[in-house]
Amino acid sequence: MKDLKEITTRLEIAKKNIKKNLNKNKGTNAASLGNALKISTELVAAVVVGSLFGFILDSWFDTKPLITIFFFFVGVAAGIKNVISSAKKMNRNTEK
Amino acid sequence: MATNPMHQFEVYRMGPEISIGGINLSFTNASFFMLVSSLLILLMLFLGTKKKLLVPTKMQLMAEMSYTFIAKMINDTAGSKAKPFFPFIFTLFMFVLFCNMVGMFPYSFTVTSHIIVTFILASIVFLGVTIIGFIKHGIKYLELFVPKGVPVVLLPLIVVIEIISYLSRPVSLSVRLFANMMAGHTMLKVFGGFVISLGLLGGWLPLGFSVALTGLEILVAFLQAYVFAILTCIYLNDALNLHH
Repeated sequence: MKDLKEITTRLEIAKKNIKKNLNKNKGTNAASLGNALKISTELVAAVVVGSLFGFILDSWFDTKPLITIFFFFVGVAAGIKNVISSAKKMNRNTEK
Repeated sequence: MATNPMHQFEVYRMGPEISIGGINLSFTNASFFMLVSSLLILLMLFLGTKKKLLVPTKMQLMAEMSYTFIAKMINDTAGSKAKPFFPFIFTLFMFVLFCNMVGMFPYSFTVTSHIIVTFILASIVFLGVTIIGFIKHGIKYLELFVPKGVPVVLLPLIVVIEIISYLSRPVSLSVRLFANMMAGHTMLKVFGGFVISLGLLGGWLPLGFSVALTGLEILVAFLQAYVFAILTCIYLNDALNLHH
Protein backbone atom coordinates (compact mmCIF):
# COMPACT_ATOMS: atom_id res chain seq x y z
CA MET A 1 0.00 0.00 0.00
CA LYS A 2 2.82 2.35 0.83
CA ASP A 3 4.38 1.82 -2.59
CA LEU A 4 1.11 2.64 -4.32
CA LYS A 5 0.83 5.94 -2.45
CA GLU A 6 4.35 6.86 -3.38
CA ILE A 7 3.68 6.16 -7.03
CA THR A 8 0.54 8.32 -6.96
CA THR A 9 2.37 11.28 -5.50
CA ARG A 10 5.20 10.88 -7.98
CA LEU A 11 2.70 10.69 -10.84
CA GLU A 12 1.04 13.87 -9.64
CA ILE A 13 4.34 15.70 -9.53
CA ALA A 14 5.20 14.48 -13.03
CA LYS A 15 1.81 15.62 -14.33
CA LYS A 16 2.26 19.03 -12.76
CA ASN A 17 5.63 19.39 -14.42
CA ILE A 18 4.14 18.54 -17.81
CA LYS A 19 1.43 21.16 -17.31
CA LYS A 20 3.98 23.76 -16.32
CA ASN A 21 6.04 23.11 -19.43
CA LEU A 22 2.95 23.27 -21.62
CA ASN A 23 2.05 26.69 -20.28
CA LYS A 24 5.59 27.89 -20.74
CA ASN A 25 5.67 26.90 -24.41
CA LYS A 26 2.37 28.51 -25.25
CA GLY A 27 2.52 31.79 -27.13
CA THR A 28 6.22 31.66 -27.87
CA ASN A 29 6.01 29.34 -30.86
CA ALA A 30 5.55 30.15 -34.52
CA ALA A 31 1.78 30.14 -34.15
CA SER A 32 1.76 33.59 -32.58
CA LEU A 33 3.78 35.03 -35.44
CA GLY A 34 1.28 33.42 -37.81
CA ASN A 35 -1.53 35.12 -35.91
CA ALA A 36 0.16 38.49 -36.25
CA LEU A 37 0.49 38.10 -40.01
CA LYS A 38 -3.10 36.91 -40.22
CA ILE A 39 -4.83 39.91 -38.68
CA SER A 40 -3.43 42.59 -40.98
CA THR A 41 -4.63 41.02 -44.22
CA GLU A 42 -8.04 40.35 -42.77
CA LEU A 43 -8.69 44.07 -42.38
CA VAL A 44 -7.51 44.93 -45.89
CA ALA A 45 -9.30 42.08 -47.62
CA ALA A 46 -12.72 43.07 -46.27
CA VAL A 47 -12.28 46.67 -47.45
CA VAL A 48 -11.26 45.46 -50.91
CA VAL A 49 -14.16 43.02 -51.16
CA GLY A 50 -16.64 45.63 -49.93
CA SER A 51 -15.49 48.26 -52.42
CA LEU A 52 -15.48 45.74 -55.26
CA PHE A 53 -18.99 44.64 -54.34
CA GLY A 54 -20.14 48.27 -54.37
CA PHE A 55 -18.41 48.91 -57.67
CA ILE A 56 -20.16 45.97 -59.34
CA LEU A 57 -23.55 47.09 -57.99
CA ASP A 58 -22.79 50.61 -59.22
CA SER A 59 -22.15 49.43 -62.76
CA TRP A 60 -25.41 47.50 -62.67
CA PHE A 61 -27.60 50.36 -61.48
CA ASP A 62 -25.65 53.22 -63.10
CA THR A 63 -25.32 55.18 -59.85
CA LYS A 64 -21.57 55.61 -60.10
CA PRO A 65 -19.96 56.66 -56.90
CA LEU A 66 -22.85 56.30 -54.42
CA ILE A 67 -23.03 52.56 -53.74
CA THR A 68 -19.25 52.18 -53.92
CA ILE A 69 -18.84 54.79 -51.20
CA PHE A 70 -21.47 53.12 -49.04
CA PHE A 71 -19.98 49.66 -49.44
CA PHE A 72 -16.49 50.97 -48.82
CA PHE A 73 -17.59 51.91 -45.31
CA VAL A 74 -19.45 48.62 -44.92
CA GLY A 75 -16.19 46.92 -45.92
CA VAL A 76 -14.28 48.87 -43.29
CA ALA A 77 -16.83 47.80 -40.68
CA ALA A 78 -16.56 44.19 -41.84
CA GLY A 79 -12.76 44.41 -41.64
CA ILE A 80 -12.85 45.70 -38.08
CA LYS A 81 -15.34 43.00 -37.20
CA ASN A 82 -12.97 40.39 -38.69
CA VAL A 83 -10.07 41.67 -36.62
CA ILE A 84 -12.10 41.77 -33.41
CA SER A 85 -13.45 38.26 -33.86
CA SER A 86 -10.06 36.74 -34.65
CA ALA A 87 -8.49 38.58 -31.72
CA LYS A 88 -11.21 37.15 -29.50
CA LYS A 89 -10.46 33.69 -30.88
CA MET A 90 -6.78 34.12 -30.02
CA ASN A 91 -7.66 35.20 -26.49
CA ARG A 92 -9.82 32.12 -26.05
CA ASN A 93 -7.01 29.89 -27.29
CA THR A 94 -4.42 31.32 -24.94
CA GLU A 95 -6.73 31.19 -21.93
CA LYS A 96 -7.48 27.52 -22.49
CA MET B 1 17.54 40.76 -67.36
CA ALA B 2 19.23 39.56 -64.19
CA THR B 3 18.87 42.91 -62.46
CA ASN B 4 15.11 43.06 -62.83
CA PRO B 5 13.73 41.77 -59.52
CA MET B 6 10.37 40.90 -61.05
CA HIS B 7 11.86 38.76 -63.81
CA GLN B 8 11.77 35.68 -61.62
CA PHE B 9 7.95 35.69 -61.63
CA GLU B 10 7.62 35.40 -65.39
CA VAL B 11 5.59 32.48 -66.64
CA TYR B 12 6.75 31.00 -69.94
CA ARG B 13 5.80 28.03 -72.04
CA MET B 14 7.75 24.79 -71.91
CA GLY B 15 7.30 22.54 -74.91
CA PRO B 16 4.56 22.81 -77.54
CA GLU B 17 1.59 25.14 -77.35
CA ILE B 18 -1.58 23.30 -76.38
CA SER B 19 -4.88 25.03 -76.96
CA ILE B 20 -8.20 23.33 -76.25
CA GLY B 21 -11.39 25.20 -77.07
CA GLY B 22 -9.60 28.54 -77.28
CA ILE B 23 -8.09 28.12 -73.80
CA ASN B 24 -4.32 28.10 -73.60
CA LEU B 25 -3.42 24.91 -71.71
CA SER B 26 0.28 24.84 -72.51
CA PHE B 27 2.72 23.33 -70.06
CA THR B 28 4.50 26.25 -68.36
CA ASN B 29 7.27 26.58 -65.82
CA ALA B 30 4.55 27.09 -63.20
CA SER B 31 3.01 23.73 -64.08
CA PHE B 32 6.46 22.17 -64.05
CA PHE B 33 7.24 23.35 -60.53
CA MET B 34 3.81 22.30 -59.27
CA LEU B 35 4.55 18.88 -60.69
CA VAL B 36 7.97 18.85 -59.02
CA SER B 37 6.45 19.77 -55.65
CA SER B 38 3.77 17.09 -55.90
CA LEU B 39 6.33 14.46 -56.90
CA LEU B 40 8.59 15.46 -54.00
CA ILE B 41 5.70 15.08 -51.55
CA LEU B 42 4.87 11.66 -52.97
CA LEU B 43 8.52 10.63 -52.84
CA MET B 44 8.95 11.76 -49.25
CA LEU B 45 5.80 10.02 -48.04
CA PHE B 46 6.56 6.90 -50.07
CA LEU B 47 10.10 6.57 -48.70
CA GLY B 48 8.86 7.45 -45.22
CA THR B 49 6.21 4.77 -45.10
CA LYS B 50 7.99 1.99 -47.00
CA LYS B 51 9.62 0.33 -44.01
CA LYS B 52 7.51 0.74 -40.90
CA LEU B 53 10.15 0.50 -38.23
CA LEU B 54 9.50 0.82 -34.52
CA VAL B 55 12.52 3.08 -34.24
CA PRO B 56 11.98 5.35 -37.24
CA THR B 57 14.55 6.42 -39.77
CA LYS B 58 14.85 10.14 -40.56
CA MET B 59 12.54 9.85 -43.56
CA GLN B 60 9.94 7.93 -41.59
CA LEU B 61 10.18 10.45 -38.78
CA MET B 62 9.51 13.31 -41.19
CA ALA B 63 6.46 11.58 -42.65
CA GLU B 64 5.12 10.71 -39.21
CA MET B 65 5.77 14.17 -37.82
CA SER B 66 3.91 15.86 -40.65
CA TYR B 67 1.02 13.49 -40.04
CA THR B 68 0.82 14.14 -36.31
CA PHE B 69 1.33 17.88 -36.81
CA ILE B 70 -1.71 18.20 -39.05
CA ALA B 71 -3.80 15.68 -37.11
CA LYS B 72 -3.18 17.60 -33.87
CA MET B 73 -3.91 20.92 -35.55
CA ILE B 74 -7.25 19.68 -36.89
CA ASN B 75 -8.17 18.22 -33.53
CA ASP B 76 -7.29 21.44 -31.67
CA THR B 77 -9.01 23.90 -33.97
CA ALA B 78 -11.92 22.06 -35.55
CA GLY B 79 -12.59 19.18 -33.14
CA SER B 80 -13.09 15.50 -33.80
CA LYS B 81 -15.93 16.17 -36.24
CA ALA B 82 -13.38 17.42 -38.76
CA LYS B 83 -11.45 14.13 -38.83
CA PRO B 84 -12.91 13.06 -42.21
CA PHE B 85 -11.37 16.16 -43.80
CA PHE B 86 -7.86 15.24 -42.75
CA PRO B 87 -6.74 14.06 -46.22
CA PHE B 88 -7.80 17.34 -47.81
CA ILE B 89 -6.12 19.59 -45.24
CA PHE B 90 -2.99 17.45 -45.22
CA THR B 91 -2.76 17.64 -49.01
CA LEU B 92 -3.33 21.38 -48.96
CA PHE B 93 -0.69 21.97 -46.31
CA MET B 94 1.92 19.76 -47.96
CA PHE B 95 1.29 21.27 -51.40
CA VAL B 96 1.61 24.86 -50.20
CA LEU B 97 4.62 24.00 -48.03
CA PHE B 98 6.48 22.23 -50.83
CA CYS B 99 5.64 24.89 -53.41
CA ASN B 100 7.05 27.50 -51.02
CA MET B 101 10.13 25.44 -50.19
CA VAL B 102 10.90 24.49 -53.80
CA GLY B 103 10.75 28.20 -54.56
CA MET B 104 13.60 28.77 -52.13
CA PHE B 105 16.07 26.97 -54.40
CA PRO B 106 18.04 29.29 -56.65
CA TYR B 107 16.87 29.38 -60.28
CA SER B 108 13.56 27.80 -59.36
CA PHE B 109 10.11 29.31 -59.59
CA THR B 110 7.72 30.01 -56.72
CA VAL B 111 4.28 28.86 -57.77
CA THR B 112 2.58 30.43 -54.75
CA SER B 113 3.89 33.90 -55.66
CA HIS B 114 1.14 34.10 -58.29
CA ILE B 115 -2.21 35.26 -56.98
CA ILE B 116 -4.17 33.13 -59.43
CA VAL B 117 -2.72 29.95 -57.89
CA THR B 118 -3.37 30.98 -54.30
CA PHE B 119 -6.79 32.38 -55.17
CA ILE B 120 -7.86 29.11 -56.76
CA LEU B 121 -6.66 27.20 -53.68
CA ALA B 122 -8.52 29.61 -51.40
CA SER B 123 -11.64 29.44 -53.58
CA ILE B 124 -11.67 25.65 -53.37
CA VAL B 125 -11.52 25.93 -49.58
CA PHE B 126 -14.20 28.65 -49.52
CA LEU B 127 -16.64 26.84 -51.83
CA GLY B 128 -16.01 23.51 -50.13
CA VAL B 129 -16.63 24.93 -46.66
CA THR B 130 -19.80 26.71 -47.80
CA ILE B 131 -21.15 23.53 -49.42
CA ILE B 132 -20.30 21.48 -46.31
CA GLY B 133 -22.08 24.05 -44.14
CA PHE B 134 -25.24 23.89 -46.25
CA ILE B 135 -25.17 20.07 -46.34
CA LYS B 136 -24.75 19.84 -42.56
CA HIS B 137 -27.22 22.53 -41.51
CA GLY B 138 -29.39 23.16 -44.57
CA ILE B 139 -30.91 26.62 -44.74
CA LYS B 140 -30.01 27.16 -41.05
CA TYR B 141 -26.43 27.76 -42.16
CA LEU B 142 -27.54 31.28 -43.08
CA GLU B 143 -27.83 31.95 -39.34
CA LEU B 144 -24.08 32.51 -39.54
CA PHE B 145 -24.91 35.93 -40.95
CA VAL B 146 -27.33 36.82 -38.14
CA PRO B 147 -25.52 37.29 -34.83
CA LYS B 148 -27.55 36.75 -31.68
CA GLY B 149 -28.89 39.64 -29.63
CA VAL B 150 -28.84 42.32 -32.31
CA PRO B 151 -31.79 44.77 -32.38
CA VAL B 152 -34.06 44.34 -35.40
CA VAL B 153 -33.44 47.92 -36.56
CA LEU B 154 -29.73 47.26 -37.03
CA LEU B 155 -30.20 43.83 -38.59
CA PRO B 156 -30.12 44.82 -42.30
CA LEU B 157 -26.79 46.62 -41.86
CA ILE B 158 -25.27 43.87 -39.68
CA VAL B 159 -26.25 41.16 -42.16
CA VAL B 160 -24.58 43.06 -45.01
CA ILE B 161 -21.43 43.48 -42.90
CA GLU B 162 -21.42 39.79 -42.02
CA ILE B 163 -21.85 38.79 -45.66
CA ILE B 164 -18.95 41.02 -46.75
CA SER B 165 -16.81 39.64 -43.94
CA TYR B 166 -17.67 36.10 -45.08
CA LEU B 167 -16.86 36.93 -48.71
CA SER B 168 -13.53 38.46 -47.70
CA ARG B 169 -12.26 35.10 -46.44
CA PRO B 170 -10.91 33.73 -49.74
CA VAL B 171 -9.41 37.13 -50.58
CA SER B 172 -7.55 37.46 -47.29
CA LEU B 173 -6.45 33.82 -47.47
CA SER B 174 -5.04 34.12 -50.98
CA VAL B 175 -3.60 37.63 -50.72
CA ARG B 176 -1.73 36.74 -47.52
CA LEU B 177 0.11 33.81 -49.08
CA PHE B 178 0.73 35.49 -52.41
CA ALA B 179 1.92 38.81 -50.94
CA ASN B 180 4.27 37.18 -48.46
CA MET B 181 5.89 34.98 -51.05
CA MET B 182 6.18 37.66 -53.70
CA ALA B 183 7.48 40.34 -51.35
CA GLY B 184 10.06 38.01 -49.86
CA HIS B 185 11.41 36.82 -53.19
CA THR B 186 11.50 40.33 -54.63
CA MET B 187 13.43 41.54 -51.59
CA LEU B 188 15.94 38.70 -51.92
CA LYS B 189 16.46 39.57 -55.55
CA VAL B 190 16.86 43.30 -54.82
CA PHE B 191 19.53 42.61 -52.21
CA GLY B 192 21.18 40.21 -54.64
CA GLY B 193 21.28 43.03 -57.19
CA PHE B 194 22.92 45.33 -54.62
CA VAL B 195 25.71 42.80 -54.14
CA ILE B 196 26.51 42.93 -57.85
CA SER B 197 26.27 46.70 -58.23
CA LEU B 198 28.33 47.51 -55.10
CA GLY B 199 31.03 45.07 -56.15
CA LEU B 200 33.86 43.62 -54.11
CA LEU B 201 34.19 46.58 -51.76
CA GLY B 202 30.67 47.34 -50.58
CA GLY B 203 28.88 44.19 -51.56
CA TRP B 204 29.44 42.32 -48.33
CA LEU B 205 26.72 44.10 -46.36
CA PRO B 206 23.87 43.27 -48.76
CA LEU B 207 25.28 39.76 -49.07
CA GLY B 208 24.90 39.35 -45.32
CA PHE B 209 21.36 40.68 -45.54
CA SER B 210 20.65 38.21 -48.31
CA VAL B 211 21.78 35.31 -46.15
CA ALA B 212 19.69 36.52 -43.20
CA LEU B 213 16.66 37.09 -45.43
CA THR B 214 16.97 33.59 -46.87
CA GLY B 215 16.62 32.22 -43.36
CA LEU B 216 13.64 34.47 -42.74
CA GLU B 217 12.07 33.39 -46.03
CA ILE B 218 12.31 29.74 -45.09
CA LEU B 219 10.49 30.55 -41.84
CA VAL B 220 7.86 32.51 -43.78
CA ALA B 221 7.47 29.66 -46.28
CA PHE B 222 6.63 27.27 -43.46
CA LEU B 223 4.54 29.78 -41.56
CA GLN B 224 2.36 30.68 -44.51
CA ALA B 225 1.62 27.04 -45.26
CA TYR B 226 0.74 26.60 -41.59
CA VAL B 227 -1.51 29.69 -41.56
CA PHE B 228 -3.24 28.54 -44.74
CA ALA B 229 -3.98 25.14 -43.23
CA ILE B 230 -5.02 26.44 -39.81
CA LEU B 231 -7.42 28.98 -41.33
CA THR B 232 -8.96 26.22 -43.42
CA CYS B 233 -9.50 24.35 -40.15
CA ILE B 234 -11.08 27.43 -38.53
CA TYR B 235 -13.46 27.95 -41.46
CA LEU B 236 -14.30 24.25 -41.39
CA ASN B 237 -15.02 24.56 -37.67
CA ASP B 238 -17.44 27.43 -38.36
CA ALA B 239 -19.24 25.30 -40.92
CA LEU B 240 -19.37 22.13 -38.80
CA ASN B 241 -20.25 23.65 -35.42
CA LEU B 242 -22.57 26.53 -36.10
CA HIS B 243 -21.92 29.13 -33.40
CA HIS B 244 -20.06 32.38 -33.01
